[in-house]
Amino acid sequence: MELSTSSQHPALAIFPLLTDKEFDSACNQFLDRVHVANESLMGRLTCQYAQRAIGPILRITRRISHVSIPAYNSQSSADDPIRERYTEAYEDDPEALIRTPEPSVSLHVVYDVLLSPTYQVPVLYFNLQPTDHPGPLGIDAVYRYLVPSQYREELQSVGVMGGISLGYHPESGTPAFFVHPCNTADVMRQIAGHRRVTPETYLIIWLGLVGNRLGLQLPRNFFATDEMRGNSRS
Amino acid sequence: MDPQAPSPPPSSSSLSSIQKAVWDGKLPLHITLAPSESRTFDQTDPYLIAHPRLAYLPSLLPRLRDFFASALIHPTSRPHEGWFSFEGVPLKWHYPVGLLYDLYAGADPASRGGGGGSPSATAEDADPLPWRLTVHFSDWPDEELVRLDADGMVMHDAFINSVKEADFLRNGTAKGIMALSKEDSAGLWTAVRDVDLPSFQRISNILLPPPNQPFRNVPVRFFLPLPPDSDSPSLKVVQSPIPPMIAPIAASQSMMAAARGTPQIQTIGSALHALLPNLFPSRRTPVLAKPVLHGAAVPMAAPVEELVRCSAYGDGWVYVVVRMMG
Repeated sequence: MELSTSSQHPALAIFPLLTDKEFDSACNQFLDRVHVANESLMGRLTCQYAQRAIGPILRITRRISHVSIPAYNSQSSADDPIRERYTEAYEDDPEALIRTPEPSVSLHVVYDVLLSPTYQVPVLYFNLQPTDHPGPLGIDAVYRYLVPSQYREELQSVGVMGGISLGYHPESGTPAFFVHPCNTADVMRQIAGHRRVTPETYLIIWLGLVGNRLGLQLPRNFFATDEMRGNSRS
Repeated sequence: MDPQAPSPPPSSSSLSSIQKAVWDGKLPLHITLAPSESRTFDQTDPYLIAHPRLAYLPSLLPRLRDFFASALIHPTSRPHEGWFSFEGVPLKWHYPVGLLYDLYAGADPASRGGGGGSPSATAEDADPLPWRLTVHFSDWPDEELVRLDADGMVMHDAFINSVKEADFLRNGTAKGIMALSKEDSAGLWTAVRDVDLPSFQRISNILLPPPNQPFRNVPVRFFLPLPPDSDSPSLKVVQSPIPPMIAPIAASQSMMAAARGTPQIQTIGSALHALLPNLFPSRRTPVLAKPVLHGAAVPMAAPVEELVRCSAYGDGWVYVVVRMMG
C-alpha cells in the first residue's frame, strides 16, 4: 500500500500549515492505513483517533520492553549538563537508586499528536511511564530511552533546555513533554517542498521528522510515498 | 481603560500609562507553610508580601524557604522543591500570580461603573484579600505540576515558549524572538521575572511590530469558569486566531450589513461573541459573563490589539478570565 499524492488532490490550503479539516482527514487516513497494516508491520504500536474537547487527538502508544540500562551507562554523560541536571532531580528518590542496577525495565509511552491552535501545525505531546513505577519519568529518561543517540546532541543544543520542553497536556492539563512546534512550518516547507502533498502525506512526513527523534519509529513502508518515489525517479 | 470612550484612538502616552499601571499592580499575599510540613503544625507565622501581579510565584521560593527554615520538619528541602496551593488546588507556576488570583480567588473584578454589577455579597463574606496561599516543600504533585529545577531552566524555557507563541501570532512567524540576541532573549526573561518595566520595554520594542503595523493575530487566551461540581484540575482554555480587524465578509453576515466592505475593529466583545456566543450573546454588553483582566472588568469595546499592546502579561499574552455574572 502506498501513499497517494497524485495531482488530483487539492493543494493544502495554507501549506506549510495545516487546517483543522486537513488534520482531521490526515488522521483518519492514517488510521485506515494502520488498520490495514498487519500486526507484524505495526509491531508494538497501537493507534487511536478521537475527538476531544480541545479538538481531535491522534494517540499512538508504544511499549518498550527490556530497555537496556548498561548500554546507556556505557556512554559518558559527564559532559552532558542537561542530562546531569535532570538526573540530579531523581537522586533523592530512593526507588530510583534501587532500580538503577536492574538490567532492564519496560516502558509505556503515550504519544499524542494534535494540531497546535497557535502554530497550525501538528504538535507532539508525550509521556513515558515505567510499568513498575508509580510516578512519571523525567527528561533524562526521555533522552536515555527514547531519543536515538544520533539525535541527542541536535535536540539538546537548541533553545533554553533543548528541543524537548515540559508543559501541560492541553486536554488533561497534566504535565507532559512536548516538542516545541515553532520551527515545524519551515522544516515542512523544506522537506515536503510544495503544497501538493496530501494531508496524510504531510502527517507521515511530520511523524518521520518528529517521531523518529523521540522513539516513535513507524515501519519503513509508511514513508514510501508515491511522491518521494516520483521525486527520486525524476 | 475608559469603558465609555471607544472612538478616539489612544495616544501612545495613554497606552504606556496603562502599561505602567498594569506593571505596578500588586497583590497582597498571605502565605502559610503547609501544616503537615511544619514543626508547629498550623501555628507557623505567615509570610506577608505585596507581590507584583505580573510576577510568577516561584520567584518567592528562596525567601519563603529562608523564612520557614526553622519550622520545616524536613530542613533539607530546597527552594525549587516548593509549590503553592490555594484551597487545596496546586497552582500552576507558569501562570502569573495575578492571573491565578483572577482564576481562583473568586473575587469580583473592579469596574469603572462602581458597585452596580457587584452588590454587597462579597464585602461581608470572605474578603479575598490578602490572598491566602499555602506553600509546600515536599510531596510535589507530579500529576498536576511540572517540576522545577534548581537552575530555573524549566521556568525560563516555559516562558520563552510562551513568548514565541505570542510572537508567532503577532507576525505569522517566530522569527522575531529567534532573531533576538542571546543577551536580549535572556534579558527579556530577567526583566519579566524581576518585573522591571524599563528593561522589558527596551526588548519588547524590538519584538513588537510598530504601532502603525497591525498584528496579524492577537495573542489572547480566554479562561472559562469551571462547572462548580468539577474535580478536574484542568482549566478550560479557549484560543483561536483573533485578527485585530474583522474582515468585511464576517461583518456582512451579522447585523452589521450596513458596514459591508469596511473592516471593523476587533473588540474584546466581538472576539468573545465570535468564540463564545452562548456566554456572550451581545458584543457590546456583558449579559451572562464578563471578561476580567488584571483584576478589572474589561470594557467590551476595548480593541483587542490595543489591549495587548498596553496590558499584556510579560510573555506577550493577554489572559482573560471569563467570570459568570449574578
